[in-house]
Amino acid sequence: MVMSILVLIFGLALCLFFIQRACQHILARRFNEEYFRSIANANRLEFPFVRKAVEEFDAPVDYPWIRMALKCDYLALTYLLKNAANARHRFARDEVILMAYFRTVLFVLGLLHLLRMPERRAIVKLTDILQHFADVVGERVSNVRFGELSASDYLLSL
Amino acid sequence: MDRRTIAGGLMLERLLTDGLQYAAYFSEALVLGVLLVRGHRKRLAGVCLFLILFLLLDGVARFYTILRYGIQSRDYYNVYWLTDVVLTVAAFALVCGFFRRACAGNEKMWHNLRPLLGFVFLLLAAISYFMIASKFHDLYSEFITQFQQNTYFACLVLTTLLYIMMQSSAVRDEELAMLVCGMGILFAAPAAALALFKLCPQSDYVNILISNVDQLCMLGMLSTWLYAITKLPHEVTARADVPVVART
Repeated sequence: MVMSILVLIFGLALCLFFIQRACQHILARRFNEEYFRSIANANRLEFPFVRKAVEEFDAPVDYPWIRMALKCDYLALTYLLKNAANARHRFARDEVILMAYFRTVLFVLGLLHLLRMPERRAIVKLTDILQHFADVVGERVSNVRFGELSASDYLLSL
Repeated sequence: MDRRTIAGGLMLERLLTDGLQYAAYFSEALVLGVLLVRGHRKRLAGVCLFLILFLLLDGVARFYTILRYGIQSRDYYNVYWLTDVVLTVAAFALVCGFFRRACAGNEKMWHNLRPLLGFVFLLLAAISYFMIASKFHDLYSEFITQFQQNTYFACLVLTTLLYIMMQSSAVRDEELAMLVCGMGILFAAPAAALALFKLCPQSDYVNILISNVDQLCMLGMLSTWLYAITKLPHEVTARADVPVVART
């Protein structure tokens, strides 16, 4: 009985640990350029500002604005992942895993806010995921030619 | 509940279980195909063998037994649990293979680890023999469940130790780290599910959870393996955050 309870607790904890580590390995992928900047500029995404605000200023976190901004960026980027320069119009497996990871961290962020615990690490993690998505979209768009259209013109036409 | 609701629930459960199972078969074949087509069969021989064994036992032997004897037959239960034991032992051997690769640049550590892994393997083999030999008339019992839980947990502990060892190592092997993460997912959730099976009273919901957790974890492991094989660098590099003095 005691052994089974221990196995249950350790099993669950280690499962979450390995899923989290797998996501971190995906996020650690290096890109040739900082593609995310052009994607964020072209689509007026706010996650770079959120990250800067959280990392550089020691002011209290504006939770409602950050949550809304990150959710909107997530919706925009998942749309672009599916439709921008993606002939199959389908998410890759690693993207599906990271999307589930984003939703989980967003849920944890809500819990941290409710319990009045530090939220900065969760916010930085969310911006890491969004930056990875933007890098993937940027890399795909930069590898495809769209006639006379520039990458940002193409993104605006979607 | 009326009969139509019960039939609808059963059909949904069947669809979910079969869907996950066929998705796992497809993913196994896909990862194996990628390994063979891209010429990784020598470099990742252990992974190839494990996938071939999984496809043969899980996809062919069990399927044949169902066709020949039926899903409710005693033969199917025996084949199911025996192949499960073989697959668990194969997974243990694969974890040992990962240890070997992690110690590729440190022969001294491998010489220390090898007898320890051998001892754990012999211990697991002895436990499995005594449990199966004494309970052969009733394989589908709490003894087998207990054995599976212990073996999974032993593999889970070894996988975790391997991952920690790799993180503190002077070299960085992204591909191996991702493969080990996949193994961790494969072992951790079923170990927890089996413990839950022992703690909770017998019910259809617990059985559905356990059968689907296995397939879900298999899909999770195969997805991480596919990512590791197709997108991560295969070369081992020096870790940047380890001082140069420590690397020599």
